Amino acid sequence: MEMIKNVLVGLWEASGINALFAGGVFQWRNLVMILVACVLLYFAIAKKCEPLLLVPIAFGILLANLPGAGLMDDPTGLMDTSNVVAGAHWYETGVLRLIYAGVKSSVFPCLIFLGVGAMTDFGPLLSNPVSLLLGAAAQLGIYVAFIIAILMGFTPQEAASIAIIGGADGPTAIFVASKLAAELLGPIAIAAYSYMALIPFIQPPIMKLLTTEKERKVEMKQLRKVSKTEKIVFPVVVLLICAFILPSVAPLLGMLMLGNLFRECGVVERLSDTAQNALMNIVTIMLGLTVGATANGQNFLQIKTLMIVALGLLAFCFSTAGGVLLGKLLYVITKGKVNPLIGAAGVSAVPMAARVAQTEGRKYNPTNFLLMHAMGPNVAGVIGSAVAAGFLLAMFK
Amino acid sequence: MLFTSEYSMKMGIGEALLTAVIGIATVLMILAIIALLIMLVSKIIRSIEAKTAKLADTGAPASPTAAPPAAVPLPDTESQGELVLENVDEPTAAVIMAIVSNKSGIPLNRLCFKSIKLLEDDKK
Repeated sequence: MEMIKNVLVGLWEASGINALFAGGVFQWRNLVMILVACVLLYFAIAKKCEPLLLVPIAFGILLANLPGAGLMDDPTGLMDTSNVVAGAHWYETGVLRLIYAGVKSSVFPCLIFLGVGAMTDFGPLLSNPVSLLLGAAAQLGIYVAFIIAILMGFTPQEAASIAIIGGADGPTAIFVASKLAAELLGPIAIAAYSYMALIPFIQPPIMKLLTTEKERKVEMKQLRKVSKTEKIVFPVVVLLICAFILPSVAPLLGMLMLGNLFRECGVVERLSDTAQNALMNIVTIMLGLTVGATANGQNFLQIKTLMIVALGLLAFCFSTAGGVLLGKLLYVITKGKVNPLIGAAGVSAVPMAARVAQTEGRKYNPTNFLLMHAMGPNVAGVIGSAVAAGFLLAMFK
Repeated sequence: MLFTSEYSMKMGIGEALLTAVIGIATVLMILAIIALLIMLVSKIIRSIEAKTAKLADTGAPASPTAAPPAAVPLPDTESQGELVLENVDEPTAAVIMAIVSNKSGIPLNRLCFKSIKLLEDDKK
């Protein structure tokens, strides 16, 4: 009888329900985060909002907030020294915490960039190199958000990590945040990916506000055909320039350009295919899952998180505005040959931002086809946000 | 590392503004340099390719023993050879080629257009 009682008590003590009341305090935050995870899963599955990312992220949130499961435990202080247990071994570390090493060491963001490079056609950018300026101008939000974050009392490292959300590039945001403010990684990554999914709702009002109907109707000249040699030389040239000026950008841009070289050189089809598909999918699962797992209720549900979400939105809006405003300037300089709407695509987020420019352009001129013109600034935005990240790392790391 | 940990706790608005201005200027400058280099490299590559193509064109009749071009059929929507456009934009040229193909009944991939030139300007 005593043994049965001990077993039942042991079961109760090991249960998640008991862990929910650990230390006599009701851990309501974990329950709220489980609810948030379910809402995100609903949006990902039922509404198809960025499901490839949102499903693993939401499930990561769910797993990390299961009371007593310890999937993100770090008893040896491998990455988090706040809960070190004496005599613990590394293999007692939670399984998600072990995978999280790929985020912490920046391996996953770099591998994602390898896949992105292999999937990206820089042709539209090469046929219209001025697009690069639009990609640069669309990083404006990063610096506006940085100033406002400093005014709100964040440290420069935190402000830089939050501001990079304006680059609209998930891996870049994770790369910077994991190096400068790892404790904010969860909210930053979730804000960055959420806003990328919301681009079709965030950008159009800003584009409409800053442009005239005449500007939105502009039809652009057909792009010239880019030769294979140009496409092969491009990744090497870009990497050399950027890495010589800002070496801190080399991990991200290096992988991006390696992936692109795989794609364009035409002699490593298998590597290109692996980078675009198998590797990309594996890393997306691991990255999404562990980024979601950083959103533990105890440290996620804070006023700071709301501030980060608000600053991220602000950064996105200013980045869109920066691109559109430079687009307007180019419209004036070229005497109406550039449609300013393509400037909004400079915020990275390939290819969603380019699609938004195309959709908005066709609303005002149904015969207009801006997609390929918008892809130029769009892929330039990837380079621009990586360079901006390199600058912030060089300043604050 | 320009801003050390003791410095990291506080940053004045003036310094933040300066950092932001330098930051956006750096991004603009680097991307502008890349744009200029792309233009330069593209120009060099295109001129080399044009010269190579010209040499290949002039060299072809001189070598009667040269093997005939590989019989890879072009897609129906593409014509053969290099086309030179003079004062004609690409959409107009495409329309002209499509009309010629349609009226002659010869598929576009069996036609070879050398050049399309605008002879009279509307303004004259």
